[in-house]
Amino acid sequence: MTPCDEYLENPDANAAHLETCESCRALAALALELDQEIEVQPRPLSLDALPLAPWEGASHRTWPLVAMGFAATLILAIVLFFAAGVSSLTGIANAVFSAIPPVQPVVRALQLTGRAIGLPVIAVLFIAINSILFFLLRRAPRGIDV
Amino acid sequence: MFKRLVLPLTVLTAVAVLGIVVSPTGASERHAFGKDLYIIGKPATISQPVDGSVQAYRANVTVSNVISGDLLVLGGAVNFEGAGRVDGNLIYAASRVTNADNRVRGHIYPLASLEGAAASMTKNAIVASLLLVWLIAAIIVTLMSGREVRLSSVEVRTSALHCFVLGLVAFTSFVLSAIAFSYLVPYIVGVPLLAALAVFAILTKVYGMVAIFHAAGTLVAGSRNRQQLASRKWLRGDLAMVVIGVLLLGAIRLIPVVGAIVWGLASIFAVGTALATKFGRREPWFLVWRPSEA
Repeated sequence: MTPCDEYLENPDANAAHLETCESCRALAALALELDQEIEVQPRPLSLDALPLAPWEGASHRTWPLVAMGFAATLILAIVLFFAAGVSSLTGIANAVFSAIPPVQPVVRALQLTGRAIGLPVIAVLFIAINSILFFLLRRAPRGIDV
Repeated sequence: MFKRLVLPLTVLTAVAVLGIVVSPTGASERHAFGKDLYIIGKPATISQPVDGSVQAYRANVTVSNVISGDLLVLGGAVNFEGAGRVDGNLIYAASRVTNADNRVRGHIYPLASLEGAAASMTKNAIVASLLLVWLIAAIIVTLMSGREVRLSSVEVRTSALHCFVLGLVAFTSFVLSAIAFSYLVPYIVGVPLLAALAVFAILTKVYGMVAIFHAAGTLVAGSRNRQQLASRKWLRGDLAMVVIGVLLLGAIRLIPVVGAIVWGLASIFAVGTALATKFGRREPWFLVWRPSEA
């Protein structure tokens, strides 16, 4: 709420505002001249004129679309495995499990990389990057939703 | 002036650190640190016994003598001949291994198993299978916490650059932390630390990717006004946006090279948006210290 709005809401309590605002002073002089009180009416609000909020209609669940998407992906995977000459079920299961990286070689690769770079360099980089991360995480999110 | 420099400097720092980590030693020669041997960018022959491990990056290696440790090969080819053998494990990624039968005492692992699987099956079939898993995960996460996903989706659309920088720095931090924790593995404490880091990284990536799916779906198929929203029967709601996003990014993933690049960038955005919004909760990560008033 602007100082002008505050004055118009309660002229007596915010009389000092007239000393600084020329437009409000002119309005008050006009009201005095016409011998009428200033009546504040809220501006009519058009809901359709407001932009669409992200949460509007967000809870709607379109299950047919979900089912169609799932079926399309499943059929695509089965057809591709069939074309490759692999059992579809085995192929899908193997593909899913193969996405999990083997622990032992990954740890060994990390150890070898660490040894190649050297502990002092790793320590300095670790502190530097995590300090930058700390400062980046302190920023408040910008996106607005209710 | 300083504020304008912060963002590019942060990106450059993160990329430089990631570069150092990804290409150890930063050299293009053959180096020995202690008992280990490093071969980068040039063909080499292991003609003398190596008492430690051998790492080869973008190099063709011929093994004609004994490597008592592990052999790690990233990009290039490995050929065994003569008395060549590896007493440890052979770990490879994007590489060709020949004549390795009965010459590796440990295990032969593809570092990224996807490549190994792709050798016997078409890569697109694997991508489609993984897309199915992403679709299931996205539906579950959206049903469990749709509001949080939406908040993160809004964040990535309003502060895309911040999310990208944060994601890049966080990814570098994950890699560096993993390397740092791997030093502690012999002292046992490194194992739970690495496990916790892995779980956190996976959760961040999965949640963030669902938010990216939502953002992509909304950008492409989201309603622009109320009349459009009211007239739609299917293309409305968080769940529909997420499914559209999965299918869209999944279709892009099937394109060779481009798909991998797009998903790599999406992963960085995903990690960034998950951390920027604290998994959609929009709470501060750290408490602010204020002295108590008298």
